[in-house]
Parts: sequence; structure tokens; C-alpha cells
Amino acid sequence: MSNKEINLEISHVPQGRLGLWILIAGELMIFGGLIACYLLYRIRFPEWANDAAHTSTLIGAINTIVLLSSSFTVVKAHEAAQKRDYKNITKYMTITIFCGLLFLVFKSIEYITEIHEGHTLVSSEFFSFYFLMTGLHGLHVVAGMVTMLVVMLGARKGENLHRVELAGMYWHMVDLIWIFLFPLLYIAK
Amino acid sequence: MENTHKISFVNKYLFSTDHKTIGAQYTIMGVLMAAVGGFLAYIFRYNLAFPGQNIPLFGALGPQQYNSFVTIHGMIMVFWVGMPVLLAGFGNFLIPMMIGTDDMAFPTLNMMSFWIFFLSAVILLASFFVPGGAFGGGWTMYPPLSANGYMVRDPNFLSALLSGSSLLILAVALEFVAMLMGGINFLVTTFNKRTKGMTAFRVPLVVWYINIAAVIFMFSVGPLVAGAFMLLFDVVLGTGFYDPARGGDPILFQHLFWFFGHPEVYVLLLPSLGVLAEVIPVFSRKPLFAYKKLVYLALLSAVLSVVVWAHHQFIAGIDPRMATFFSIGTIIISIPFAGIFLSFMATLWGGSIRFKLPMLWALGFIALFLIGGLTGLFLGSNAFDIYAHDTYFVVTHFHYTLFPDIFFGFFAAFYFWFPKFSGRTLNNTLGHLHFWLTFVFFNCTWFVLFFNGLAGQHRRIHDYSAFSNFSGGIYQTFEKFSTIGAICLILTQFIFLINVIMSMSKKKNAVKNPWEATTLEWVADSPPPHGNFPVMPEVFRGPYDYSVPGEAKDFLPQNQQ
Amino acid sequence: MNILPKNVSTYGQEIDSLFWLITTFALIAFVISLFVLIYPLFKYRQRAGVKAEYFTGEKKTHFKWVAIALIALALSDFIIMYAEHDAWVTIEGLPAQQDFHVGVTGRQWNWIFTYPGPDGKLGTADDVVVDEQNSELHVPVNKNIIFDLRARDVVHSFFIVNTRLKQDALPGRVVTRWFNITVEGKYDISCSQICGVLHAKMRNYVVAESQEKFDAYIKALYDNNKPKI
Repeated sequence: MSNKEINLEISHVPQGRLGLWILIAGELMIFGGLIACYLLYRIRFPEWANDAAHTSTLIGAINTIVLLSSSFTVVKAHEAAQKRDYKNITKYMTITIFCGLLFLVFKSIEYITEIHEGHTLVSSEFFSFYFLMTGLHGLHVVAGMVTMLVVMLGARKGENLHRVELAGMYWHMVDLIWIFLFPLLYIAK
Repeated sequence: MENTHKISFVNKYLFSTDHKTIGAQYTIMGVLMAAVGGFLAYIFRYNLAFPGQNIPLFGALGPQQYNSFVTIHGMIMVFWVGMPVLLAGFGNFLIPMMIGTDDMAFPTLNMMSFWIFFLSAVILLASFFVPGGAFGGGWTMYPPLSANGYMVRDPNFLSALLSGSSLLILAVALEFVAMLMGGINFLVTTFNKRTKGMTAFRVPLVVWYINIAAVIFMFSVGPLVAGAFMLLFDVVLGTGFYDPARGGDPILFQHLFWFFGHPEVYVLLLPSLGVLAEVIPVFSRKPLFAYKKLVYLALLSAVLSVVVWAHHQFIAGIDPRMATFFSIGTIIISIPFAGIFLSFMATLWGGSIRFKLPMLWALGFIALFLIGGLTGLFLGSNAFDIYAHDTYFVVTHFHYTLFPDIFFGFFAAFYFWFPKFSGRTLNNTLGHLHFWLTFVFFNCTWFVLFFNGLAGQHRRIHDYSAFSNFSGGIYQTFEKFSTIGAICLILTQFIFLINVIMSMSKKKNAVKNPWEATTLEWVADSPPPHGNFPVMPEVFRGPYDYSVPGEAKDFLPQNQQ
Repeated sequence: MNILPKNVSTYGQEIDSLFWLITTFALIAFVISLFVLIYPLFKYRQRAGVKAEYFTGEKKTHFKWVAIALIALALSDFIIMYAEHDAWVTIEGLPAQQDFHVGVTGRQWNWIFTYPGPDGKLGTADDVVVDEQNSELHVPVNKNIIFDLRARDVVHSFFIVNTRLKQDALPGRVVTRWFNITVEGKYDISCSQICGVLHAKMRNYVVAESQEKFDAYIKALYDNNKPKI
């Protein structure tokens, strides 16, 4: 079965990247659905602003910066992967994972403060949406970190270098979703 | 290939990554689930004909059980029969064979997709055995009935999680995940793994249609996944996303559900239409009529499919002006599908028609779907829908569309490709018996119920004794007639089972290309080995070159120069 | 046997004539399509020595037949839409003259009827609420009855077969619709949206009666409702 060469990548997009694009499109529809529901409610019930006032814009902003910088390092990792520079791949991916971790730490601090103040999943509609959307996004951050770790362990030994780019694409998506969540949940008071 | 004999049983049949094995797994699973769904149908149909009597093979049926059975019957037939058989089953069997490649783009993902699907089926069936039984609020799962159906939400996390409604949501969510994984595979495989010369417009229509169905599915399911999360949180954790008392809105879920639910109809319809597009030219010995236009029509319907959802909600209290918009959308989307069916009929004209079994199922499909489609005219009209909504008219309408779609489509494909994928042939007499009895009994089951619907008989009623005009007289007679038809319809399927078992016990005798068809799967051996083709075929022509003038044979395989 | 049950409302006739209009279109389309499907099965069945014609249908001269059929279908669709528009607006909108106002609330598993009290207004303290299993909604005949539809727990659907009226009742919303019954009598009200275990038992009646009988009924209701001293 050596005729695989004939039919590889007719569309000139590598298989993994194409699959991931489709996956990302599907994920965006899920978050798009959630955001659309949230917006419809938010427009109908202006009083949600009272609850929204209790989210911490400062921590949200810090987290935005953390995620944005991690997107930068993931690009650097991809660059390093193209140069087969294993040391830098490891370095930049570690930083990215660390940023993800930092994001989760800040997120946890936020959750703990809010729950202490009595804003829980069931306390109000706004916080139901808040916890559902940020929680689901947090799970994606965790998934991204795990993927990153697995890819990094392989890439360090020079295996499956193309996966660095794929992990990076996924990470960008996680980042992009946050860019939408941040103004909707933190800035719009 | 060389190491086929080394593969253990588990790897060969359970955790196989071969697309044909996975396709078979999906199909067998779908057929098994259809048996469950059919048994449920038998139980509640029996109850409708003979209310209050003990049901043979089951016993007494209470109202809660009746509601669960109706609900789960719908769920099973759409998500655990239609989806695995039509989308995943056809997609797995046909796409790699027809585009000329050895396997799916991501074989491991494909295998995981089936096992997630299997898990979802197990969870669904397990929901019958939890306290309170399976969910019984209709397959549409409208909250608040699904969120806190009996007005007291279970405060205990674990028992709320193990309730019928949350297990159903979980099972559906997992099924979506499985189909998403399958959809990614189909699209990437079709994009990237086509053999040399297989340009976009040399791809058989069924491959186009399965891919378009996968795109529709992936585009429309996202918001419902979000909605299902919210519903699950309402059930298990006590949030109030759909609880009006706490600022939620139950209509939101209806929108999310139908935003997916209506395109889902096309997800189920397109693969079956694709099968017809393969079967009809072969047995008419004629090129498919307007092949390219059929691709564009399906793409058009895919775009339109997301702007028609609210026609399921005409009487749900939405803005009357919005209803007009969706009514127009519904009318417009009927055009491409009418075009597809008309083109299939046009393929017959001027042909040299052979009435082989797959052809019979395909023609039966068109005849029945005609009734289903035309009764859609009544329901698409929003004013008449005020009266017909939630009556047997709706139930009958969608059985006249979905039954041909799922079962006639499946059987057309089954009788067509069974020799290819099993290497065995089926008994022709039993096949004819199976077709004609199914066709007749299906109509016995459903046609009379149009009249019940028009008389205003509303659906999902365990016992019509409260409604004097339906608990006796002509409409009760119709119910009895329908039930007898349904029981015969179910019994008829045993002919099919016997036919398959008989054929499987014989030795492999199928030739490579029994129907003299042109597409690539007929180039491979019957059954195709692991890897499908000894040498990947090169494609030189379109998929429907039948009776080309000046040629000696009346068909030109795609790989013939 | 009548295909549609007896119609007793002012706008029911519009629905019925719409039904017959669509049936006509559907039957014509059905007969033509069936001919197009079945005729070639006889005309073009396999014959020895006869080869099928070769045309792909991509040419305009061939596809025009499908196109014409599609245009005909679209036209008849829009004729139906045009014909039904008035019925839709009549039923979904409210009439100018509003004779009597009642409240209808769905609960598991009964319809609750609220009549305005002696002050003639709904939503005041003296409203009379009838919440009994299988109770009757009394209305005067030939009057425009406006009703506010609510649901207390889950989604219900208010359906009077003989008036051709159906409307979902949604928790958290008030939907106002109307009907006018022209024939005295007692008609079923059912719930046509599944609403739980005893959905099948959710059946009440609407009783359309002459103004005198109706006034007597209301008076009796008020009398029974008076706080006992």
C-alpha cells in the first residue's frame, strides 16, 4: 500500500489543520450559541447590570493580558518548530502552559471571592451565565494545556512537529473566545 | 494487508479502525436500536388501539410509561437510528470507497466516534431503569417540563443526575459528540483523500450529500449543545436558565432546539437522497438528471435550512409577523427539495428501467415522500398550522417523510451495496416480499391517521377516554386499523432478518459489479479487503456515464479511460 | 363522515376553506407527480435491444421542465400564503370590538378560568376563579371573547377543536387571543402540548350559551363566591 502519496492533501491543506479548522468552527458555534442567548437576555433585562457590577474587571483584564501574551509565545513556539529548534519549542510552550496555569489561578481567585460574596451559580441569571460560560471556557483552557503538554513532550524529541502548530491554533481559539467573553461579562456593567 | 491474519478478534471487530468495520458497527447498532424503537412503537400503538388492556409481551402500560415510550421512540428513531445508519453508516461505508482511498483521514477518531456513540446508546437505554423511568416530556424536551417536570426539582445532586431527563440530555450530547467526530472525518476525507482525477464534479452525489449533511449538522448543532448545557444545569444544579420565575425564558430553548431540529431533518434526508441518486441511474441505465444542479440545490437548501426553524413554533406565542417570515422561508426551502425529487423522476424518463430490489425501494421512497412532502404544504401554511399543530396530522406527515427517508433509504442502500460489502447475495423472492409488504403495511399504518389528525385528535395522549369523539366510533376504528398495520409492518421486518441470516450462512458468491455500475466501489473486490483497492484507481470521467452513445457497453466505469 | 369536525366559530370557516384550497393544490400536484413517476415505469421499462437515451439534464432545454414545475410549485405556494394571510391576521390579532374578557391559566392538569368580578375588570381582587377538574368555561354566544392565556407550571396548549383555535400557554408570559362561538353548545377544551403524566386527562369544556343563561351563571358564581359571614 505505497500509493498513499497519490492522494495526500488534494486541497493543499494538511489533514490535521483542516480537521482542526472544522473542529474550531464547531466549537465557535457552541460558544456562539451561548453568547447569543446571553446577549438576548442581557438586552431584555437591563437590571442584570446590577449583578454584572460584581465581577472583577481588574482580574479579567489581567487574565486577558495573560492569555494574549500566551498567544504570542505559542506563535514563537510555532516559529521554533519550523526551524526545528527543539530547545525554543520547549521553552515557549512551557511559558504558554505556565500562562494558562496563571490564568486558571486568577480565575480561581475570582470564583472564590465571588462565591464568598454570595454570587453562586444559582444566585442569579447573570451569574448562572457567568459561571457557565467562564467555566466552559476554563475547561477549554485546561484541555488546551493538556494538549500543549503532550505535544511538547513529543516535540522535544523531534516527533510530530506539525502538532505544535495545531496546538497553537487551538490555543488561539481559546484566546479568541475569551476576547469575546471579557467585554460581555466584565466590561459591560 | 500483509498482517491481516495477525489482527486479534478484538482489534478486528471491536476496536477496528477500518472504515468498513466501523460502518458495519454503526449500521448494526442502528438496526438494533430500530428494533428497540419499533418495540416501543408496538407497545404504545397497541395501547392506543386497545386502551387499558394488557399488552402481549409487555403487560399493562401506565400513563408515565406511555409518555416515556413515545418520547424515547422519537429520540431513538431520529438520533440512534437515522443518524448512525444514514449519516455515519453510509458515510463510513461509501465515502472512502467512492472517492477511491484506503480509509478515513483519522481512523482512530473514527473508532472513538463509534464507541462514544455506543456509550450514548447505553446511557439512553439505561434511563429506562432509573427511578421515575425514562424522560416522558416529548422528544422536543421543552422546559420547564424537562427542567423540573414535576414542579419539585430534586435537590439531591446525584439523584437529579440520574433522572430520566438528565440522562437523556447526556445521551443526546454524547451522540452529538460522536457525530461531530464523524462529520470532521467525512469532510477531511472528502477534501483531502480523493484519488487521482477525482475532481469535485466527479464525486458521486451521495458523497456530496453526506458531506453537505455533515456541514449542516455541525453548523446547527452548536447552539443546541449550548442549550443542552443550560438545560442540564437547570436539571442537575438548579440554575434557572429556562425558569420564568427566575428571569429565564422557556421559549429560548424552543428556538435553540428547532434551530438544530429542523436542519436535522435535512441531515437525515440528504444521505438518503444521495442513495437514490446512485440507485436510480444504475437501474435506469441513464445519467443522473442535472447532477451539477442537484449539488447546487442541496447547497442552497443547506443555507436555507437555518432560516426556517420557527415554523415549528407558529402557535408558541412568537410574533405573528415573524411567523410570516418563517412561512416564506419554509416555502422557499421546499423548492430545492422538490427540484431534487423532480430530477430523480426525470432520470427515469427515456431510460431502460430494471425493477431490481434497490430500485423498488427507491421508487417506493419517492412515492411515499410525495405524500409526506405535499402534506407539508398544509403545515407550512401558518394559519392552517394553528389547527393542525400537535395533532395526528403532524405525526402522520413526519412519518410519511421520515419513514421512507430512514427505512426505504436504508433498504435501498442495503439491497444495493450488500453484495459489495459482504460478498454475498440476498434472496430475491424474500426481498420482493419484504418490499411489497413493507410498502402496503406502512400505508395501512399511517394513511388513516391523516383523518384522525384532521378531526383534531391531539397527540401524545395515553388514553382518549376523556374525549368522547376519539375514544369510540370511526376514529377509534382507525386507531385499531393503524395498530394492526403497525404490527404487520414490524413482523414483515423479520423477513428481512431471515433473508440476511440465510445469506450470511451461505458462502461468498457475489461478483465484483453485479449491477454494472460505474462508481469506484464496484472496482474493488467483494468484499473489499482492508485498504480497499490493490492499486488506487485513477478516475477519468464523471460518476454517471450510462448508455453513452457510440460505446459498446451501456456503462463506463469511472476508472476507464 | 366529515373530514373536518363541526365548526362553531366565526373564523373557523376561513381555516376550513383554506384546508380545501390547499387540498386542491396538493391533490393536483399529487396526481401530476404520480403520473410523472409511474408513466416512465411502463413506457421505459427494459426492452431487448432498446438502449436508454443519453441526456444529462445539464442543458437548459432539458432542465426547463423541472424549472417550470418548480415555478408552478412556488406560485401555488404563494397563492396559498396569500389566501391564508387574512385568516392568520384575524386569528392572531384582536378584534376591535371586545365583548367579554376572561383569564385562562393552564396548570398540571387542568385549565383554570378566571372571570372578572362585579366591577367588570380582570386582574382585580374580586375576580372569580374556577379551578375544578374538568370545569366549564361559560361564555355568551356570538360575542367576541378575549382571553389572557397563562401557564402556571409547564407549557400547555389551549385547543378548542370546534373553533379551530390553538395557542400555547407559556409560563412567564401572557398571550391574549380571542374567539367567537356562533353555535350554542358544549365543546371540548384540550391541552395539545405534552405537559406531564396526566396530559391525557386535561380536558375542560367551553359552554357557549345565550346572554340570559350566561348572566345567570355569572350571578350564581358571584353569589357562591361571596365571603360567608
